[in-house]
Amino acid sequence: MIEYRDVVKSYGGKPVVKGINLTIQEGEFVILIGPSGCGKTTTLKMLNRLIPMDSGDILINGKSIKEQEPELLRRNIGYVIQQIGLFPNMTVEQNITVVPRMLKWDKERRRERAKELLALVDMDYDTYAHKYPNELSGGQQQRIGVLRALAAEPPIVLMDEPFGALDPITRDSLQDEIKDLQKRLNKTVIFVTHDMNEAIKLADRIVFMCDGKILQAASPEEMLRSPADDIIREFMGKHVQRVHMEDELTCSDIMRHRVATISPQRRTLECVELMSQREVNSLIVVDDDRTYLGIVAIEDIKDRGVAGETICPLIRTDVPCVETGQHAKEAFRLLMDMKADYVVVVTPDKKLAGIVTKSSMSKAMASALWGEG
Amino acid sequence: MTLQHFMDTYALDLLRAIFVHLGYVILCVSIGTVIALVLAVLLTRIPKISRFIMPVLSVLQTIPGIVFIGILFLYTGMRPRTVIIALSIYAIFPVLKNAYSGILHVDDKYREAARGCGMSQWQMLFSVEFPLAMPSIFVGIRMTTIYLVSWTVLAAMIGQGGLGEFIYRGVGTNDNRLILMGAIPAALMAIGLGALLDKIQKKLTPRGMREPEQSTQQSQLNAQEGEI
Repeated sequence: MIEYRDVVKSYGGKPVVKGINLTIQEGEFVILIGPSGCGKTTTLKMLNRLIPMDSGDILINGKSIKEQEPELLRRNIGYVIQQIGLFPNMTVEQNITVVPRMLKWDKERRRERAKELLALVDMDYDTYAHKYPNELSGGQQQRIGVLRALAAEPPIVLMDEPFGALDPITRDSLQDEIKDLQKRLNKTVIFVTHDMNEAIKLADRIVFMCDGKILQAASPEEMLRSPADDIIREFMGKHVQRVHMEDELTCSDIMRHRVATISPQRRTLECVELMSQREVNSLIVVDDDRTYLGIVAIEDIKDRGVAGETICPLIRTDVPCVETGQHAKEAFRLLMDMKADYVVVVTPDKKLAGIVTKSSMSKAMASALWGEG
Repeated sequence: MTLQHFMDTYALDLLRAIFVHLGYVILCVSIGTVIALVLAVLLTRIPKISRFIMPVLSVLQTIPGIVFIGILFLYTGMRPRTVIIALSIYAIFPVLKNAYSGILHVDDKYREAARGCGMSQWQMLFSVEFPLAMPSIFVGIRMTTIYLVSWTVLAAMIGQGGLGEFIYRGVGTNDNRLILMGAIPAALMAIGLGALLDKIQKKLTPRGMREPEQSTQQSQLNAQEGEI
C-alpha cells in the first residue's frame, strides 16, 4: 500500500504539488491525469525520490520512503519513461538485467530472468536478447523498457507517459499488454498520462489532478458518469461521448435535433409555405405538447390536399420510427432498408425527439470513428 | 656519404630514437588521459562553473610547448621528468575538452533511466555516461596522440632524446637528410598511431552505438534524395 500524506513540492517558490493525499492499494492500476503542469509527473517522481519532496511524507507499506536510500528504494520500484531510455551501449538482455545486476544476481539467474521476461511479451530470446536497442522498432524498445522495469520483480511500477511517443496502433497493443501483465503479475502501477482514452482503458482508478491538487479520484466509470468538476468534464468532454458511442451508440446520439414541425390544425397552404421556407418536402406533425402524430408530405398535399382545409386527414403514420434509447443500429437498418429519407426518433412517451437522416448518421459515425465533430 | 653508409651509421640511433619517442608519446598520452578524464568528470558535475573554467584552460593550451618546456626545465632540470610533465600537461586538454562535452551531451533520458533503475552516481558514470561519451573521448585521445608525436620532438631541446634529436642535429649541421630522418618516422608514427586508435575504437564500440550514425546518415541521404 502506498500513502501520500500532505505531500508538497515547489520549484523556485512556485508550488507545483499542493498537499496531495492519496492511498493506493496493492495491485491497483492508478492513473494520474490532468492538464500539463498539473503536477502529475512530479507526484509520480517523488515516489521513487527522483524528485525530493518539500514536506509531507510518502509511505510504502507503512514505511516512509525518506528512511530508505534512494538507490535502494529505486531498485525496488520499476520505472518506465516516455523517452524509453534503453542504454544504447547494452544489448537487450543487458538492458533488461540492469537492476538484477546491481542486486548482484548471478549470471545464470539473470539469464533465466531475461528469458522469462522476453517470453512475457512474446519476444524470442534467441532472436532478441543480443540485439541492441537501435535494432528494434519503437514498440519493441518500449516493451524492453517495461521489462527492464519489471526485471527485479518490484511490487510497484511507475510509468511516466510510457506510450506517448508511439504510433497509435503500437500504443494500443502495448496498452493491452501492460494491462494484461499488471493483472497477471499483480503489480501496483502508477501511470501518468494526459490521454483520457488511455486512462479509461487502463485504470482501476483515475486520479485527476489540476493545479497541484487532486480534483477527483474515482473509477473510470464513475468519473465518466459524474465528473466532480467542470475541468474534468471538459477534459473528458469528447472522450465521454466517444466511449459512449463505441459501446452503445443510441438513436438519440445520432439524431438531428432541429426538425421542421407543424401542428395538425394548420391548413394545407400554410404547410406548403413552411415547406418551401425550410426547403423540405415533408414536415413532422406534432400537437401542442410535442406528441408525435405522423408526417405530412408534399406529394400528399399535391394529390389529395384541399386548399383551406387542415392537414389532419393527410397525416401519414407509416414512416419508420424509433425510440431515443434504441440502439443506433436500428435507425441505421431502417434508413437503409426502407430507403426512407429519415427515421423519426421519439421519446418513450411518444414525444418527438428528432430525426435521423443519412447525413446525421454519417456525421455520428465519423465522430465515433475519428472523434471529430 | 652514400645513403647506404648513412643508414648504417644512424640505423641504431634511429631505432632507439623511435622507441624513446614512442615511449614518451604513449606514457604522456596515458597520464594526460587519466588526468583529463578525472577532471572531465569533476567539471561535468559543476557545469555552471565549468563554463568559465574551460575557456581559461583552452588559453593555457595556446602557450607554445617550447616556452613551457623551457620554463619548466629551469625548475626540474634536464631530465626526462621535465619532458614527461610538460607533455602530459599538454596531453590533458584535447581529451578533457572532448570528454567534457561528450559526457555533458549524454542525453538526459539515459541519466533519468539510470537513476530510475537505482544506479548510484558511480554506476551511472561507468555504465552509462562513459560508454556513451566514448566516441567523443576517443576523438580527444586520437587528437592528443597525434599532437604529442610532434610535440615530443621538443624533448631533444633539453637533450632527452627522441626523433627530435635528428631534427635538431640536422638543423644545426644544415643536413636535410638528418632532418628528414627525424621528420619522416615522426609523421609515419602519427599516421600509424591514428590508424591504430581508430581500429581500437571500432573494436570497442558496441554495435548498438555504431549503427545509429550510419543509419541517420542513410536516412539523411534518403531524405535528400527524396527532396530531389
